Amino acid sequence: MIQFHNVSLAYQRDATALKDISLRIAKGEFVFLTGPSGAGKTTMLRLIYGALVPSRGQVLIDGQNVSRLTRSQLPFLRRTIGVVFQDFKLLQNRTVFENVAITLEVQGLGSRADIGKKVMHVLRQMGMENKVQLTPPRLSGGEQQRVALARALVNEPKILLADEPTGNLDDANKMQILNIFKEANIKGTTVVVATHDRRLIENAHYRPIRLHNGELADEGEAVDEQKQ
Amino acid sequence: MNRNSKKRPSMTSGGAQGRLAYFTGRALTNIRQNIFVNVVTVGTITLALLIVSLFMLLFVNLENAAENWSEKVQVTIYFDKELTPQEQTDIKNRITVLPATSKVNWVSRDEALKRFKGRLKGQETLLEGIRPEVLPTSFEISLKKANRSSEDIELYVGRLKGIPGIGEIQYGEEWVRRFNTFLTFMRIIGLLVGGFLVLAVVFIVSNTIQLTIYARRDELEIMSLVGATRMFIKIPFLIEGLLQGIAGGVIALLLLLSIHLLFLHNAGNFLTFNPATAGLSFLPSSYIAGLLLAGALLGFVGSLAALRRFINEIAD
Repeated sequence: MIQFHNVSLAYQRDATALKDISLRIAKGEFVFLTGPSGAGKTTMLRLIYGALVPSRGQVLIDGQNVSRLTRSQLPFLRRTIGVVFQDFKLLQNRTVFENVAITLEVQGLGSRADIGKKVMHVLRQMGMENKVQLTPPRLSGGEQQRVALARALVNEPKILLADEPTGNLDDANKMQILNIFKEANIKGTTVVVATHDRRLIENAHYRPIRLHNGELADEGEAVDEQKQ
Repeated sequence: MNRNSKKRPSMTSGGAQGRLAYFTGRALTNIRQNIFVNVVTVGTITLALLIVSLFMLLFVNLENAAENWSEKVQVTIYFDKELTPQEQTDIKNRITVLPATSKVNWVSRDEALKRFKGRLKGQETLLEGIRPEVLPTSFEISLKKANRSSEDIELYVGRLKGIPGIGEIQYGEEWVRRFNTFLTFMRIIGLLVGGFLVLAVVFIVSNTIQLTIYARRDELEIMSLVGATRMFIKIPFLIEGLLQGIAGGVIALLLLLSIHLLFLHNAGNFLTFNPATAGLSFLPSSYIAGLLLAGALLGFVGSLAALRRFINEIAD
């Protein structure tokens, strides 16, 4: 599903952000991307959804080289990937409903009623059905997180990427979010969660991929299981 | 939820019309949700167009005044005898067929005396004992607008001289030349000042639009991240820009009209010698249409340029 072949990335002046990373994440897998801040977790996610292009090497999604995609092809890749950003990236002056609906609207999918149904369904899953008309500034951090998650999941993406999704949540909220990831994974979505939250990783028992200073420190045990 | 989804523009299952309706709805919602930014943009476009249109008003009226003055470019043929009606029509016809002739007017001796008296109002006693026979009769010829330059007039006079029975020909050579120089000068100044004004306005408006779109770059980025095509991101912004431009144009015109009605329409007597056209006239309809079009273009092209820049920035 997701393959990194000898991927290196150097930001202009800074030191190399990623060094020679080779990695496979199988379809339907659930992995944690771990490591201290600045290890390159966010960079790896950005390479997957095509916001960055590697300086060397290739990133393949479903066998497709991401950096070879043209400007007009990239949106179609992104429609198959749901992303939950560390800073949520919600539209501040649009309602919860509109923020989630946007994922479906950009694809021109379905009638108004269809879109409405899907959006309400996913918001109900997140326990946000009573706040559909509020704008993000009136929501708590945990609520904004769930809106971001709803937006990422509403079109049932093949891949779900999440960047520090439990960063500022309490334990109860963390487990709720983790359960939502698990459910999506069970339905077949490949899930990649970047986090440095030890407890989350220990509780979940999924394959951890550890980065350190832009290098792959540990690819996790599940790789071997996959290969067998 | 129902109330919410009613307000939310949504895509119908297909068709260009459905898409256009969606994008227009999206643009209108965006305007409502970003009211401050829109007020700033419309305000800037309004002010910019108002400045340009005030200048245009001034220029149009100067041109009008110049045209009035140039009516005074007249060729007069004097005869020291009274012409017989036969001679009169004969010569008049031969003058009328010349292509540059606009109007030919016969001034009889009585008419000439009447004008003379009119000019000496209050001092009529001076004219006591003067009989019409002292004054010459004449043809007064107005020329077509396109033939009022010094060269054309000289050419015209040359032709007149070819008509048999013609008398002494007079036209204000010096005056015509100076007037034409003045007109040329005025037009050059007008073009220069107008050109700079338009450049300044385009610069200010496009920068304002860039700033307002920059302020919403998160929106562009998020749209791009959830898989919107460039067109999908751009179109509502472009419609928004178009609406802002048209709104700016309409408001600027209304303001100009108010200024004209309140202050200017009867304040231009000094510009013209002809009491019938006293006062400043408003812009002709072609200028009004041009102004509205300029507003729409400013909004649209300004948005397009800004979008191109920022979308490239977030996508690369």
